[in-house]
Amino acid sequence: MAELFTLPVLLGIAFSGIRLATPYLYAALGETFAQRSGVLNLGVDGIMLMGAFSAFFVALNTGSLWLGLAAAAVVGLLMGLLMALVSITFKAEQGISGIGLYMFGLGLSSLLFRTTVGTVKTISGFQPVKLPLLGDLPILGDIFFRHSLLVYGAFLAVPLAWFILERTTWGLKIRAVGQQPAAADSLGVNVTAVRYACTGLGGVLAGIAGASLSIALTNLFQENLTSGQGFIAVALVYFGGWRPLGVLGGALLFSFVNAFQLWMQVLVPEMEADIAVMLPYLLTIAALAVAVNRTRQPAALAKPFERGEA
Amino acid sequence: MRKHLRTAPVLLTLLALLAGACGGATATTSPSGPFRVAVVMPSATTDMAYSQSMFQAMKAVQAEMGGESALEFAWSEGMFNVPDAAAAMRDYATQGYDLVIAHGSQYGASVQEVAPDFPDTSFAWGTNVDTFGMPNVFAYTAAAEEGGYVNGVMAAMLTQSKIIGITGPVEVGDAKTYIDGFRNGVAATDPSITINATWTGSFSDVALMTEAANTHIAAGADILTGSSQSVVGSIGAAKDKGGVLWFGTQADQATLAPELVVASQVYDWVGVVKDMIAKHQAGTLGGEVFTLRLSNDGLKIAYGTGYSLPADVRSAAEAAIAGIKDGSIKPLP
Amino acid sequence: MPTLTTASSPAPGLTPAPASAIARRVAIQRVAMRGIVKRFPGVLANAGVDFDVNAGEVHALLGENGAGKSTLMRQLYGLYPPDAGEILIDGQPHTFHSPADAIRAGIGMIHQHFMLVPTLTVAENVALGLRSSREPQMDLKVVAARLNTLAEAYGLKVDPGAYIWQLAVGEQQRVEILKALYRGASLIILDEPTAVLTPQEVDGLFATLRRMAGEGHALIFISHKLHEVLAISQRVTVLRDGHVVGERAAGSVGRQELAQLMVGREVKALPAQAVQTGGVRLALEGVRAQGDRGTEGLRGVSLAIHAGEVLGLAGVSGNGQRELAECLAGLRRVSAGRVLLGGRDVTHASPRERLLAGQAYIPEERMRDGAIKNFSVLENLFLHDHAAPNYARWGVLNTNAMRARAAALVQRFNVKTPGLETPLKNLSGGNIQKLILARELSRQPRVLIAAQPTRGVDIGATEYIHQQLLAQRAAGTAILLISEDLDEILALSDRIAVIYEGAIMAVLPRGQATPAALGLLMAGVHGHEAG
Repeated sequence: MAELFTLPVLLGIAFSGIRLATPYLYAALGETFAQRSGVLNLGVDGIMLMGAFSAFFVALNTGSLWLGLAAAAVVGLLMGLLMALVSITFKAEQGISGIGLYMFGLGLSSLLFRTTVGTVKTISGFQPVKLPLLGDLPILGDIFFRHSLLVYGAFLAVPLAWFILERTTWGLKIRAVGQQPAAADSLGVNVTAVRYACTGLGGVLAGIAGASLSIALTNLFQENLTSGQGFIAVALVYFGGWRPLGVLGGALLFSFVNAFQLWMQVLVPEMEADIAVMLPYLLTIAALAVAVNRTRQPAALAKPFERGEA
Repeated sequence: MRKHLRTAPVLLTLLALLAGACGGATATTSPSGPFRVAVVMPSATTDMAYSQSMFQAMKAVQAEMGGESALEFAWSEGMFNVPDAAAAMRDYATQGYDLVIAHGSQYGASVQEVAPDFPDTSFAWGTNVDTFGMPNVFAYTAAAEEGGYVNGVMAAMLTQSKIIGITGPVEVGDAKTYIDGFRNGVAATDPSITINATWTGSFSDVALMTEAANTHIAAGADILTGSSQSVVGSIGAAKDKGGVLWFGTQADQATLAPELVVASQVYDWVGVVKDMIAKHQAGTLGGEVFTLRLSNDGLKIAYGTGYSLPADVRSAAEAAIAGIKDGSIKPLP
Repeated sequence: MPTLTTASSPAPGLTPAPASAIARRVAIQRVAMRGIVKRFPGVLANAGVDFDVNAGEVHALLGENGAGKSTLMRQLYGLYPPDAGEILIDGQPHTFHSPADAIRAGIGMIHQHFMLVPTLTVAENVALGLRSSREPQMDLKVVAARLNTLAEAYGLKVDPGAYIWQLAVGEQQRVEILKALYRGASLIILDEPTAVLTPQEVDGLFATLRRMAGEGHALIFISHKLHEVLAISQRVTVLRDGHVVGERAAGSVGRQELAQLMVGREVKALPAQAVQTGGVRLALEGVRAQGDRGTEGLRGVSLAIHAGEVLGLAGVSGNGQRELAECLAGLRRVSAGRVLLGGRDVTHASPRERLLAGQAYIPEERMRDGAIKNFSVLENLFLHDHAAPNYARWGVLNTNAMRARAAALVQRFNVKTPGLETPLKNLSGGNIQKLILARELSRQPRVLIAAQPTRGVDIGATEYIHQQLLAQRAAGTAILLISEDLDEILALSDRIAVIYEGAIMAVLPRGQATPAALGLLMAGVHGHEAG
C-alpha cells in the first residue's frame, strides 16, 4: 500500500485524473447551462456519441482534427436544438424526451459508424502540448501543463462558465429563467430564447465532450464509445450544486478516484479488482448523498413555461 | 400543442429504434434449400475481437460452401442484454433455422431454456464445455491459454524494462485462461519479469481502458496485452506513447497499429462451424464439445505485418507452438 | 340584477360623478382601455370593459375574485392580447405583444404573486432584462447606486445586496415597486398589493403611493377591500362578471354602495353571537417542527382551543401557519412538544387516526392537500369515508348509497356543479372549497382546523363559508381558524392568537384585538415595546 503514495505514482494519478475528467467537464458544464435555464437534458450521452462519431469521421476523412472538432460542435448544436424543440416548444416531458434523444444518438451513431467506417480504426488525435515555461515547472508542469489542447480547453471552460453565469447580463437572465421564468418574462426577458440558447450551448459542449474522447483521449470510435459517461455528467451537475466550480470538483473527484484505483490494481495485486473498480462509484454515491444540496436546484428545472400560469 | 406533447418523445424513440433496427439483424427466410445458421453475438461484428472472429468464420464457411444458395446466415449483434438474446434465439428457432449459435458464455442459461422446445434445431454455445446433457446442444471453446503461452514467451524475450502490463474488462472465461497462459509463458522464459494486471469492470468503457494502458506505461511497462472487445483503447494508448509493443488475442489486431502489434492469437471458428453443420446434416444434432487448439488449427498465431520480429524470438515462438502441439509443453500446469 | 348598478362607464368627459368632473378635465389621461373583450375557454372574463387612468391619480379597480380585474390588467401589461377593443397610451393606440412592449410604453406592474427571483439579490432582480452600462458584464454597483437614490426619494428602504429570500414580504413588495420605478414606469398597476401586508405596512405603502401620485405617476390599485380603496384612491371602478358596473369618485361613495356594486345584492354583516365555550378540545404544548427551508418553522407553540370557540390565528404569511396546520393534520413531524386531541396524545398520530378522533381539516392548499382535481365531485366527497360500512362491503363500493349522500351534500352545502360526475377541476374555487367543507363538516367534527378557508374564494362563497363556520361553533365544535386576512379573523374569532416567526406573540380576546394592536404583534413587536 505504501508504494501508492510515492511521488511518481501520485503524479501519475493526477495526470490520469485530469485526462479522464476532460469529457465529464465539457458535458457537465454544458448541462449546467441547460439546467440553470430550466431544461433537464438527459440526452447528453446521445449527443456525446454523435459528437464523438462526427469528430472521428471528419478527422479520419479530412485529416484535420480542427474540422473534426467543428463538426462535433455543429452536430452537438443540432442535437441540442432538437431537444429544445421537443422540450421547450412542444413542452414534452423532459425526462422522457431526453432518454429518447439518448437512444436516438446511440442508434444513429452506431448505424453511421457501421455504414461509413465499418471496423474499428485508430487515428492520430490531438497530441499533448507542453506549455512554454509552465510545462517546465517541476512536478506541476508534469501534471498540469503537458496535455492536449482539448484538455486545457475543458479546464479553461470552468472559470469562463462561472463568469458568464455570475457576472454577465446574459447569465443573470439564465439564472432568472431557470428559477422563476414568470418573473423574467414579466420584465421582458424572452424565456424561450434563453432556454433555446442554453440547451443549444449544452449540445455544443456535449458534442465537444464526445470529440475529446474520440480524437484526443482514445483516438478511435466504436459503438457506445461513451458507455454512459453522459449520464455521469448529468449526475455531476447535481453533485456540483449547479455551479461550474462544484462541477469541476465532482469531475476531478470521480476521475482521480478512477485513476487511483487503476494504480492500486497495478501496485497492490492482492487487492481484488472488483473492489477497486467499485471505488469511484461508491465514492460518488456517498458524496452525492452527503453533498447534494437540493435547495440549489433551479426551481423551474424540467418545467415548461406557459405565460400567465402564475 | 397538447397532441405534440405526447407524440414528440415517442417520435424520437421511434427514430432511435429505426436507427437501431437498420443496423441490426438481416434475417431472410426462404422455404427450403440452403442450410440455415443464425448467430447471436454480444458485441458488434466489427469489434476486432470476439464477435468479429465468429462473423468472419461464418462468412468464410459461407463462401466455401458456395454462397447464399448453400448457406443462409443471419445474425444479431450487440446483444449485451441476455433476455434480448434469448428472445432472438427463440425467434430464429421458430423461423426454422437449422443451427442457432449463441456466441457468448453468458447465454448458457438461455440455451438451456430454449433448446428443449425445438428438438429439431441444433443449438451451439461458447465458449464453454457444457452441453447440459441435451441431445441438440453443442458446446465450443478455445484453449486460449495456448496462444497466451506463445505470446508470453515472445513478450518475455522482447521486454527491456522487465515490466509487462495486462488490461482486461472482467476476469472470466477465455479472457482469464489467455492471461493465465500468458503469465506461464513469461515465467517459463524469464521468472524475473513483473506482470501488472488491471481490470476495468466494463466491456465498453474505452476511455477507462485507455487510461489503464496509460497507467501501465507510466508504471514502466513496455509491452501490453489483453483480451476483450474494448482492448482497442489500450492499443490506442500504446500507439500514442511509442516504443510500446502489443500482443493481441481473439482476432488479428495488426491493422489497428501495424508497427506495434507483435503477434495476435487468432480464433478460427471455420473448422468448428463446418464440423457442426456436417454433424447436423448427418443426423447428430448436438451433445458434442469442440475446442479450438493450435493442434487442430482452430488457433493460429498471426505475426504482425508491420513489426520486424527478431529471428530468435520467432524461432522460440515456433518451438513453443510445436511443444504445445505435441504435448511436451503444458500452458496451464 | 339590482337596478342601482350603472351601465359601462361613459366616454371621457361625460363622467357620472360631478365631483371628479373638474379634476378630470384638467387631468392628463395616460391610458385608456376601450371595449376590451377577453374570452377564456368557457368564461367571458372581460365583456367590453372601458377603463382609463390619469397622471397623478390613484384609480382603484374593485371587484370580487373572478370579476376580471387581473385579466384586464394583464392585457394592459402585455401578458396576453385582448380579443377585441383597443388600448390607448397618451392617446395613441398600442398593441402589446409581450411585457417588454408594455415596459417600453412606461407601464409597470406589481403582481399579486411577486415576480421576483428568490435566489437573486435585490439589485440583480432590478437589473434583470436591462442593458448594462458595460455589456456583456453586469453593472450591479451602478444599479445599486441608482436604486438607493430611488429608494430614498420614495421612502422604499431596501438593501440592494440582499437576497430576495432573505426579505420579509413587505420588503419584497418594495423591491417590486422599485423595479417598476427603475424602469421609468409612469403608470404602475398594483394587483392586490395589501393582501400580504400588516396594517402598518399598508400605511407605509399608501404613503409611498401618495408620493408617487403627487409626482404625476398614474396608479391603478386593484383590491377587494373597500376601506383601503376608499382610503387611497380618487376614483373607483367596480367590475362584476367581466362588466364595469359603476365608476364613482372615492369622495362621494360609501362602503355599503361599493359592496352592493361588487356583489350585486345587499351584503349582511355577520350577526354577533353569544359565546358558549366548553372544555379544551385541542391543546398544543410547546410544539416544535422543522420548516420548509430547513430552519425551525415552529419554535414552541402552545395553544388551547375550547369547545364552541373560534380561535383565530393571525400573522403575516410564512410565519409558521402552514407548518402548524400540517403538524395538526399529521402531515408534518412534530420534533418536540405534544398535541392533545380531546385529552388524548395525538402528537405522532396518523392523519386517519386524527380523523377518527373527530378532527376535520380544511387545508390551505386545497388542490394539493384537500382534493384530487381529476376525480369527480362524487369521488372527492368520499375520499375519507369510502371504506365506511354504509358505502362499501368487502371493499366493493356501494355506488347507489354514495350517490344519494353526495347529492344531498351538494344540495345542502350549495355546491354549484353540473353533476356528480363532473371532474373537480371544472369547478370554481369557491365551489371546490364548499365541497371540501361539505365533506369535512358533514362528519360532525369535534375539532376543526380551517387554514385560509376563504382565500381565493368570491364574496358570496366567503359569506356562506363564514356562516357555516359559525354554525359549527354554535354546535360546539372547537375551531382553529388560520387566516392571513385580518378582517376575516376579526369577524369570526372569539380569541385571536398572533404568530410571528414560529412562535405565538400573544393571545388576545376579541375585545382587545384592534387592527393596530394585531398589526404590531404581526410585525414581531410586543405591546410594551410599541408604547
